[in-house]
Amino acid sequence: MDDLALERYFDDSIANDPSYMVEEELDLQSSLKQSHASSTNSQNSFNLLGETETSGRLGNDLDLSFLPDDLSNQSSSITVKRQVPVNLGSESNASPFCPMTPMTPMTPMTPVTEKSGIIPQLQNIVSTVNLGCPLDLKFIALQARNAEYNPKRFAAVIMRIREPRTTALIFSSGKMVCTGAKSGCSEEQSRLAARKYARVVQKLGFPARFLDFKIQNMVASCDVCFPIRLEGLVLTHQQFSSYEPELFPGLIYRMVKPRIVLLIFVSGKVVLTGAKERAEIYEAFENIYPILKGFRKQ
Amino acid sequence: MFAAGLKCPGCGSSNIVDDDLYCQAQLVCVDCGSVVSEGTLADDPVGGTDVSYSRTTAVTKKPCLNLIKGLERVKEMCRILRLNSEIEELALTYFRQAYQQESFINVTLQRKEVLAGCCVYVSCRQRDWPITLGTISSLLDADQTLLGGVYQEMIKILNIQAPFVNIADVIEAHVQEYKISAQDVTKELAEDSKVLTKRAVALVELAGDSWIVTGRRPLPIMMAATYLAWQSLNPNKHRLRLSLDKFCHLAKVQKRNPAVTRITEMKEVLCKLGRELPWVREAVTRDDVVRLVGDILEHRHTLLTRALRTHETAMLADCPQASALNSPTEEVAPSQHSESRDQTADASSVVQLCPTDRMENQEGDDSHQTEDPEPNWGKRVLFAPPCVIHAKRRREEPPAQNFTGDEEISDSEIDSYIRTPQEARDFALMQKAVSSSDNGNP
Repeated sequence: MDDLALERYFDDSIANDPSYMVEEELDLQSSLKQSHASSTNSQNSFNLLGETETSGRLGNDLDLSFLPDDLSNQSSSITVKRQVPVNLGSESNASPFCPMTPMTPMTPMTPVTEKSGIIPQLQNIVSTVNLGCPLDLKFIALQARNAEYNPKRFAAVIMRIREPRTTALIFSSGKMVCTGAKSGCSEEQSRLAARKYARVVQKLGFPARFLDFKIQNMVASCDVCFPIRLEGLVLTHQQFSSYEPELFPGLIYRMVKPRIVLLIFVSGKVVLTGAKERAEIYEAFENIYPILKGFRKQ
Repeated sequence: MFAAGLKCPGCGSSNIVDDDLYCQAQLVCVDCGSVVSEGTLADDPVGGTDVSYSRTTAVTKKPCLNLIKGLERVKEMCRILRLNSEIEELALTYFRQAYQQESFINVTLQRKEVLAGCCVYVSCRQRDWPITLGTISSLLDADQTLLGGVYQEMIKILNIQAPFVNIADVIEAHVQEYKISAQDVTKELAEDSKVLTKRAVALVELAGDSWIVTGRRPLPIMMAATYLAWQSLNPNKHRLRLSLDKFCHLAKVQKRNPAVTRITEMKEVLCKLGRELPWVREAVTRDDVVRLVGDILEHRHTLLTRALRTHETAMLADCPQASALNSPTEEVAPSQHSESRDQTADASSVVQLCPTDRMENQEGDDSHQTEDPEPNWGKRVLFAPPCVIHAKRRREEPPAQNFTGDEEISDSEIDSYIRTPQEARDFALMQKAVSSSDNGNP
């Protein structure tokens, strides 16, 4: 293990924004996926999060098996041999209670025991793309099977594809909005769907391209599994919350950093929306979870 | 009054004076008497004067009529609700401010009236005067959704906050509406409003503790509490026989449909507590719990503790190994009860460990989409929000697939979305046929 590399990593990540961590995490994840195949420590599960019952749920999203068994025992963590330049959560600078896992937002001194272990599941992603050429909507509505067009009601063609199950609004300027809700909803799925729509438009004879694909909004939801006193929450977090039971049964929490709107319900279900990136959702949930836990036994 | 720079077209002299003949001003040549130009009326630019109305002083001297009407409406509402002058002043200030904003200046009169109502509402809340949006909507005879929309927009524009209204404060005003004093109804059915209020408040507090109130509209809850309070204060056969419908008819209030469900929920909570009464030997059902309500409310704190303890022992009986557990894990273990009585704090942690144990037994297998989905934590605790106890069954979703976003897109798949030429022709013909038949039939 290269101590200098480790120190450099820690210095970098502490000095920079949390957003730096996001790119780092994506790189790490991909490199981890490669090295995981060659690893022998397959089921080193993570007491780190302590919520073993969520391992099944996490399996599809994250591969955290590289994390050492026992954080307090720092010597054993070195046995994990990887190609990655960094060995997280192990040595020197990090205290045993502040492991540098890729999914941790960079708030220092976060004790292990406070992580929720709940991962919000994405429910819907809205993205836009520019096909780069004007389109004849009447022609598209005529030639495509899966299109509907009612110019009196709305000035766009509504097109749907089966796999991944999504809907697109295609405008005559060539701009397109793609929305979709499916299990295993992800950014890549949205991109694939948008490409399929572009391909359909291409086949219909237009010189469609695939410019400026951008994710505009992501919606996720999760369940904390305990009831929440919304009246109490609105009293203590008045500047962020809006709870009007006569108008809507949930509490609307507008988090400032990251800029996410959360709908919190008495049943413990939480809906997070307004994110442009997945990490924002995770960060927002990790921010709200201790607040919600504070209202649990009251 | 020489008009400089003008030449008479008749004689060419520049001796032109301004002459006010009758009411019209004229420019007249002194030498030959011909009129050079007349009438500022004719010279008015087409489409009104250059100075627009909003820039004239008339605006400040005579403010917009609708603004005046709106202010009058605000004052009227304050008088009806018998609010003090402080609230009235505040409401008028807010109305003046909000009226000038773009979203409220060029809107329908109905919206402006609704805005007046919202100003009154917000001022009441800020001065701790308990009031519900339902009251305002019935005063204005406006749809509550519209009211809600205008209210949200108004507080966003004015950037103000309204503190939360506690339902226990509002219920006193609510009970006043019910006309069931001795003058209005027969002796068996009559009830003093103060006594009724006191009991209704106790019922609402109990409902609040047992998760019936959070997230729900307050009005049906208050109605249910009033009804149960009225029945239990004198549970003779006349009162017990009267349904909610008839009760509302009697008291001359409008029945709210969700109140029926609230009554059921409240009775269930009362049953759970009623079971703990030591002097009750027979089983407590929803039908006879009304007679016990008085006792239950009087000793509700003790009964709550006892009920929680009973529940906890019942849970422990299900999983005896819980006592041996000393797991360092916490969080996501489903929570238990809402009430935080200190003496039950240890009890709750034991209850918490038991479900954790169950969860841990299940985590062994990797699949999380089993036949029986994750155990509903609401069924395992004594009090839980009704939406959790009667959770909707979610459709089972197929397991997630991994996408990279850059996969190959097969031609055949794309072709399946495009019509064949024959199909397109048929479709076009059909469209024409449909539209012509539409035109044919007016």
